[in-house]
Amino acid sequence: MIKGERSFVVYVLVPAFFFLVMFYVYPTLFNLVNSFTDLSLFGLKQGGDWIGFANYVELLTSSDFRHVLWNTAFWLTFVSVTVRILLGLLLALLLNSKVLVKYRLTSVSRVLLLVPWATPPIVAIVAWRWLLNPQLGEINRVLLWLGVVDQPIAFLAEAAWVWPALITIMTWNTLPLVTLAFLASLQSLPSDLIEAAEVDGAGKWQRLRYVILPHLKPAIIVMTLMSTFWTFNNFVYVWLTTAAGPGLYTNVMATEVYIKAFIDGRMGYSSAVGIAMASIMVLFGILYLRLIAEREFKEVF
Amino acid sequence: MAVARAGLAPAFRISTATGFSLPMELALVGLTLVVLFVLVYPTAWIIIASFKSPAAIFSGEFGDFSLQNYVTLFQTGFARNIFNSLYLCIGAVLISTFVSVLAAYGFSRMRFRAKRYIFGSVLLGQCFPWIILVTPLFILFAQLGLLNNHLSMLFVYTAISIPFSIYLLVGYLESVPRELDEAAIIDGCSRFGVIWRIIFPIMLPGVVATATYAFMLCWTEYLFALAFLTKMQLKTMPLGLYAFFGEDTAEWGNIMAASALTTLPTLLLFLPLQTRLASGLAAGAVKQ
Repeated sequence: MIKGERSFVVYVLVPAFFFLVMFYVYPTLFNLVNSFTDLSLFGLKQGGDWIGFANYVELLTSSDFRHVLWNTAFWLTFVSVTVRILLGLLLALLLNSKVLVKYRLTSVSRVLLLVPWATPPIVAIVAWRWLLNPQLGEINRVLLWLGVVDQPIAFLAEAAWVWPALITIMTWNTLPLVTLAFLASLQSLPSDLIEAAEVDGAGKWQRLRYVILPHLKPAIIVMTLMSTFWTFNNFVYVWLTTAAGPGLYTNVMATEVYIKAFIDGRMGYSSAVGIAMASIMVLFGILYLRLIAEREFKEVF
Repeated sequence: MAVARAGLAPAFRISTATGFSLPMELALVGLTLVVLFVLVYPTAWIIIASFKSPAAIFSGEFGDFSLQNYVTLFQTGFARNIFNSLYLCIGAVLISTFVSVLAAYGFSRMRFRAKRYIFGSVLLGQCFPWIILVTPLFILFAQLGLLNNHLSMLFVYTAISIPFSIYLLVGYLESVPRELDEAAIIDGCSRFGVIWRIIFPIMLPGVVATATYAFMLCWTEYLFALAFLTKMQLKTMPLGLYAFFGEDTAEWGNIMAASALTTLPTLLLFLPLQTRLASGLAAGAVKQ
């Protein structure tokens, strides 16, 4: 190392680390400490009393929390990530097909694909709240006109509809990113590989199964991991669409942290929920990397 | 690669260039058009509806072009929210880009102990649930009297932009040849000189893309603003937009106009950049 290089490394990294430590590391540790107290929103000045693991015991034994956990793990994360990855794959295959080239739809479809992604989530939610609105919404108007229903459906207020509706909104907004990643991967697939398979007599399905999907595997693995993180951690989709309602029917961990801290005022308990949330993600990340993606990630990093 | 049953393919295949029959081709084209319609419709309709007269906003017809929604919106004082968002975001983007260019250069060019792990933990910042930062930062800001304060928001927005910016900039830096640095150093340029005189101009497109992304992140941020800003004159645009949703009613005219104003910059400025960002994100996934 050239003389003075060491201090240069320090100079370039210190500003970034100031922010990372002040706004990520320190709050997380502070959160951990708070999770062992009964700190209240209305008594921040006095501080909270140390109550040991009481918050965690309450959390593990509460049936409300089990409901929140199920919503987060199953609906918010598992179902929506699965739907997004499957639709993203299908859409990437569709947009990459020679049919679109023949009908000159390739460029226009790639530009239009970006529209939902360029739409901020806060606006996407507005658009869909209006589309799904029972009185004014286009979707109910079309359903009534088709005669599929005779009463408008309150998609965001009826238990049977609210999760499918939320997942539709999230999928619409995030599908382009996943699709684009798969498209980029498809475009890096050497065409002679496909041709060789064709010469060997492989049909469409065999080519998909034995050539295209194995080539996409790293992209699928990375996108699944990333979108699991993004979705699990997300607050705005649920909060701004249903405010965790009807009642607390769609309450997820992110909204539970917010509700417990800022509506019920139980900062200590909310911190414990947050710590549980972060622990689940870390555990998931480690398991996922160990079991599925070890090889792929070694290649990437 | 095991491709089963070679030789069973018919000797003469009647096929178009696409490998699909004509009805199948038309079905696929139809499907594409339907999918594109679903993808574009919600956003397009918000922008169209914002220019309809308030009375006609929910009718199926296009109706007359009208700026009434925007006039009403600005009468509510929404300009204040736009201004707050603009200066907070621009300020945060300038700071975070400056800080991230330095750090990215360090990660890309310098060797130091435990670099892999440190860079890995920066990446972890991207996967970090912001919601769990909200409660501790709220307590901290409350104790320091920094709630309802734009300075603390500026720092928060800088902090949330940094991990992603570093990640993207390191990616761009990898495409700038190292020989350039070495040549400049031999010619007597200092390391900082290399960053600002040599590297920065070359990777300017990458810096612009990164800064744009960071801007969009802050421009549409809702959670921190919701927790830390309660005074109307301090609120940012996303908060102002959702303030039009009442308990039972919604001021749809204002909502449409405010939504269109939130979306227009991202649509116009960011469409060209999004493709670049996607390929950057995918690069990690595609590398084999």
